[in-house]
Amino acid sequence: MTRGWCKKAVLLFMIVCLAMMTGCWDRRELEERTFVLAVGIDRLEGKKEMYKITAQIPIPIKIAGSGGQGGGSSGDAVRVMTTTGRTVLDAMNNLQKRLNQRVFLGHTRILAISEEVARRGTKPLFDAYRRDPTMRRLLWPVVVKGEAQTLLMTNPKLAQIPVVYIMDLIESGAKSGSIPDQTLGDFYIQTSSKGIQPFMNYVEASRVDVSWKGIAVFREDRMVGALDDKLSWVLMQLRDNQRGGDIVVPLPGKKGEYLTFRPHFAETQIEVKHNGGHMAHYTCVLQGDLIEITTEPDFMEKQNVEAYQKIIRQEMEKRAQKLIGKLQKEYRSDILKLGLWEKANHWDYWRKHDWQQVFSDFPIRVTYDIRIRRFGMEVP
Amino acid sequence: MNKGFRPSGNAYSTWQLTTIITSTLIGVGVLTLPRSASIALGEAGWISTIAGGLISMGSCWLMARLSRLFPGRSLVEYSPLVLGSSSLKWLGKVISFPLVLCYLAYLYIIAAFASRLFGEVVVTAVLMETPLEATIIAMFLLAAVLCQHDPQVVARINELLFPLIILPLLLLAVASFQKAEWNNLLPIFTFSWKDLFNGVMETTFSFEGYEVMFIFFAFAQGGAGKGTASVAGLGIAMLVYTLIVIAGIAVFDIDELQLLMWPTLELVKTTQVPGLILERLESAFLAVWVVAVFTTIGNVYYAFIYGLRQLLGKGIVFQRISSVLLLIPLFWLALQPQNLLELSRFNSIIGYAGAVFFGFYPIFYLFLSLLRGRKLHRQAGEQDD
Repeated sequence: MTRGWCKKAVLLFMIVCLAMMTGCWDRRELEERTFVLAVGIDRLEGKKEMYKITAQIPIPIKIAGSGGQGGGSSGDAVRVMTTTGRTVLDAMNNLQKRLNQRVFLGHTRILAISEEVARRGTKPLFDAYRRDPTMRRLLWPVVVKGEAQTLLMTNPKLAQIPVVYIMDLIESGAKSGSIPDQTLGDFYIQTSSKGIQPFMNYVEASRVDVSWKGIAVFREDRMVGALDDKLSWVLMQLRDNQRGGDIVVPLPGKKGEYLTFRPHFAETQIEVKHNGGHMAHYTCVLQGDLIEITTEPDFMEKQNVEAYQKIIRQEMEKRAQKLIGKLQKEYRSDILKLGLWEKANHWDYWRKHDWQQVFSDFPIRVTYDIRIRRFGMEVP
Repeated sequence: MNKGFRPSGNAYSTWQLTTIITSTLIGVGVLTLPRSASIALGEAGWISTIAGGLISMGSCWLMARLSRLFPGRSLVEYSPLVLGSSSLKWLGKVISFPLVLCYLAYLYIIAAFASRLFGEVVVTAVLMETPLEATIIAMFLLAAVLCQHDPQVVARINELLFPLIILPLLLLAVASFQKAEWNNLLPIFTFSWKDLFNGVMETTFSFEGYEVMFIFFAFAQGGAGKGTASVAGLGIAMLVYTLIVIAGIAVFDIDELQLLMWPTLELVKTTQVPGLILERLESAFLAVWVVAVFTTIGNVYYAFIYGLRQLLGKGIVFQRISSVLLLIPLFWLALQPQNLLELSRFNSIIGYAGAVFFGFYPIFYLFLSLLRGRKLHRQAGEQDD
């Protein structure tokens, strides 16, 4: 008797709970958010202590496939808005005042900063993003030559949403190994790590065009310079075993004639000696195809392959020398990860020296070993 | 003394004991573990989880030994037997009462702080608009529901949820190895003994919770290997912890690790599971992690309530009512720390105290009972009749 009553009471309690306690404090429908696909950070012209933030926001109804009419001119699919503020977050809050829904940064894929901002240091910019739990670590930070706004205003017309175009450009490059796979998370890690210096991809944009220009080199959190595409590829080969892009080598003794080598695999070994004079020795084995020769070379047929390999090797070693020279003397920034290697494998040396100081005079030698595997459909 | 529930046909198997140990250990601490493990030891942070694991394993194994001397009895029941004598039973009770009460208070406090930490994570990382109190109350209600049942239910729940706790963590550790920079783990042997000691102390928070076995070993089956369960249970937790710490250090580097509030959560953020279309797995990970937290808070709170019931010699009705009523002071206690920094300060105090206190508890009891030897057994036998 009492048991049955008890059961009924429990059942009633559960029903009341079900009716009253469902729902969620944080319920926010998809259309109740404003997605920001890309953020650009500039200094305000004329008032340099203010930030100018540009945000690219997609217009859902204009995106092809979602509405009945489908498409329309692709330029209309996004809206670019610009605000100013004393800090990054202040500017974002000013943006919020002009929007009907809450800003949501969880789908941001590109974080563009202008070269000027990068040269002043990124620490104050990114602090708000580091604290924001919705912000991804896997988005692409880029340094834009000139104003960051230009990158967000650009419209390459090949994709509906310009940011997606830029993102795909970097992503497909990263997949094929010709653009460094440098995410915001990597940048954070490199900024705080003592054994390594950060870098970002460096892009240039105009009204209808975007292009990858190489790497922006940072020291601590400040940009100190840039590497062009050729040197960036050398860096990628030495640092990450990435293959880099095609290598175009002028043929010696023949003006205006070239040879093109496409690396497929890169494997670098580091050897650091500390007994009697210090020396870091990189040995990079590049395997790949010969894909273009603009003229018949005039060496003996049998030695062709060795001769080609020698030409390519000399070119690559020259580029590597230039890269090392720039990093050590001009930028004094170890984005090569050599410091990390030193810390890991030569702790005694690392402990006694300030790597930041030592790096610019540390002797580094780079040797390439080129191995041509294939010649395409033509006999070399 | 009323013996209350005495397990007979449905007592705990070895595997159930193992899952209880592992899932009690793995809980809130796993989110901060890579950071706390690498504070003192740097690159070799994973050594501190191994060392901490081995020490806890030893302590837990001693508990198992102790429990073998008094099969079917929990700490609350055998403590007066060890401390008193057959002629002076009241003396044992008087001496053991504060000791047992300390133990129960410890369980109560770690249940409170674990649920607060859980609430903090949920509120900072996923549900930003939800009041902290709501997340904590939700967890408490679950714990209260668990306390309405027999101890056997606890074992079955742990057994059931065990794979749900272990597999995602293992998957995360292995998947994040593809982003790892192995040089971050070197050099290994740059720490002093003092660093190692500090490192182990930093990880105590992650290993606290196995103390519930003072209660749960009492429900073991006759043939169940309590020692095996201690070694296996702590071994599994140690393995998972070590893998997570290695992954955290290898992916983030120790300098970055010190800046991350919840390194394991950030690890989920940086890891893309290959072959899966899903990105941003952190919400899914947290959903699974709630299970891990529930088994921690649930088990600890259950052990506390059951211990209290035995201490006062009450039955299941007392357990049911008190488990709900005692949630109110628990809630108050959980809300005491002002913010996360204060909470982690409290947590490390509790962790240190617990590590020292309960490291010595089993040794103390074991020493005393071995010293008193046969006399004690006769006395225990008399009580069983």
